[in-house]
Amino acid sequence: MLQIKNLHASIEDKQILKGINLEVKAGEVHAIMGPNGSGKSTLASVLAGKESYEVTEGEVLFEEKDILDLSPEDRARLGIFLAFQYPIEIPGVTTTNFLKTALNQVRESRGEKALDAVNFLKMMKEKMKLVEIDQSLLSRSLNEGFSGGEKKRNEIFQMAMLEPKLSILDETDSGLDIDALKIVANGVNTLKSSSTATIVVTHYQRLLDYIVPDFVHVLYNGRIVKSGDKSLAFELEEKGYDWIKADVAETV
Amino acid sequence: MIKEQSILLDKLESGLDTSSTVRMDAWKMLQEVGLPSKKSESYKYTQITSILEKKANFDLGEQKAFDKRDLYKTSGSHLVIINGVFSKSDSAIENGVLVDTQEVTEGKHDPFSLLNTAFSPEEITIKTEGKVSPIFLYQVNSVGFSNPRIKVSASKSQEISIVEKSINEPNTFANSSISFDLDENSKINYSKIQAYGQESSVHETIFAKQLRDSRFYSNVFTFSGGLVRNNITISLEDENCEGYMNGLYILDGKSHVDNNTSVDHLKPNSYSNELYKGILDEKSTGVFNGKIYVRPDAQKTNAFQTNNNILLSDDASIHTKPQLEIWADDVKCSHGCTSGQLDEDAIFYLRSRGISEKNAKAMILNAYAAEATSHIPVPELKEEVEQLISNKLI
Repeated sequence: MLQIKNLHASIEDKQILKGINLEVKAGEVHAIMGPNGSGKSTLASVLAGKESYEVTEGEVLFEEKDILDLSPEDRARLGIFLAFQYPIEIPGVTTTNFLKTALNQVRESRGEKALDAVNFLKMMKEKMKLVEIDQSLLSRSLNEGFSGGEKKRNEIFQMAMLEPKLSILDETDSGLDIDALKIVANGVNTLKSSSTATIVVTHYQRLLDYIVPDFVHVLYNGRIVKSGDKSLAFELEEKGYDWIKADVAETV
Repeated sequence: MIKEQSILLDKLESGLDTSSTVRMDAWKMLQEVGLPSKKSESYKYTQITSILEKKANFDLGEQKAFDKRDLYKTSGSHLVIINGVFSKSDSAIENGVLVDTQEVTEGKHDPFSLLNTAFSPEEITIKTEGKVSPIFLYQVNSVGFSNPRIKVSASKSQEISIVEKSINEPNTFANSSISFDLDENSKINYSKIQAYGQESSVHETIFAKQLRDSRFYSNVFTFSGGLVRNNITISLEDENCEGYMNGLYILDGKSHVDNNTSVDHLKPNSYSNELYKGILDEKSTGVFNGKIYVRPDAQKTNAFQTNNNILLSDDASIHTKPQLEIWADDVKCSHGCTSGQLDEDAIFYLRSRGISEKNAKAMILNAYAAEATSHIPVPELKEEVEQLISNKLI
């Protein structure tokens, strides 16, 4: 589904990603872990098409198509979804209104008919249950005054509504208590299927107890320095990141 | 007097009616105070005199008939004013609305009010009795220099909604004046759409005088104009008055819009709230000046003022200046102004959900503008303003 080849990216002339290689197939869950400042969030943003990052080398193929020249909206319409680490507050725009616009623009790009108000509402009701989000929250301004947990649940709710093929969860666990974490993880697990894939970016192993990864990659200093199965996450939790840093130092 | 002023005033003098003392007095006073020069603080960013000298064609004398397609298709009274003269035959007036014309009376003493007094063809007065539907004012300004003068009075406990629309021809300069007298417990809601051509110049004076327990709302929406200057003053002359000033300007091209506003609290326990929002694109210029005066008697005053601006282009500019002058000691006052760009992170967020860049920007700007439209009392007008906002932003 997704192939990242030798990806280099920088922001304001500062090189952040220094040659990422990663392949994600349909049905798989990949976890990307790493210490602060290793480039995890940059990778997530670059995949979603954030324009402040400049890709200086490499390619990213989504379903065999190079997406690096595509706008963020075109990537979203192809089925790429980024759950933000810090969801943006947008005063005056309600979640409902925003999602209806988004969903119908995505449908339009696929040659599908726009959902009418009744069917949209029906779909919304169904997906709301998934993340236990309240109707009153959705008629408020997007993320404005939401608690950390509400913001993250709203991200997963949007993901449920847009039904992406590839979901990238950028530190979705940060700022969540254990109950909210379970709700969010449960939502993600329910949405998973053999035709979708998930990339979970996280600092801690905790989330991976609930969203179990098939592969764990360690990102350090702009490169993936170690890959393994879920046991790697436990090892990291136990030993921290220093031994990885030491490993890297040795091989250089 | 500086050169450009005297040329302008000389040009105008030939049109003066020398038999009227009110007009001659205003004219003499204008000679003394002069038109705003480069040094006038309150016209610092709007070189109105030299712009007028260059742009307005004072010799243009064409009368233009009213185009009925400009009418709002809704019940209420529809009053047509052509170059400052009330056109009864074009108007439709419901029972309870009293429209009259009279010889011009003395006005305010700032240069453009003096000009208006000197040259206004007549004073159009509007009063109401009992419950009345909204009053729609249509101003057609087609001659080079027009000076409409309108006076609205709300007697005790009357409620009046007024919607004004101006249709101005290119290369004209309209110097209009509208004043509101609010008696006890009355309410006036005044809304104005300003969508002029890039070659039109407008100076508009809006003045409201409020007595006890009255409420006044002004909603001014500016979408374009070569030069637009609005002088808006609310004078809260008694206790327990409420004055609201809402403004929205969405500008592009070379539009230049200057909102000069002031609220004067003279007595205790009154409230005022001012909210002006701007979106400036291309080479447009916005000026905002907001003054709040709280006089020594005006204890327990609540006065608030906000001016927010979004600049969409590097060539657009905004000059904003809030001013508070407080002589009373037990008051609650605040003012704030902001100017910035569209939030890139917010746009990216919306786009990452499949919304096009254009739509994402329009969504954010529409939401931003919506706050300033919340006091529009007439649904047809609200729709029109929302449509004008969308046209500009999408």
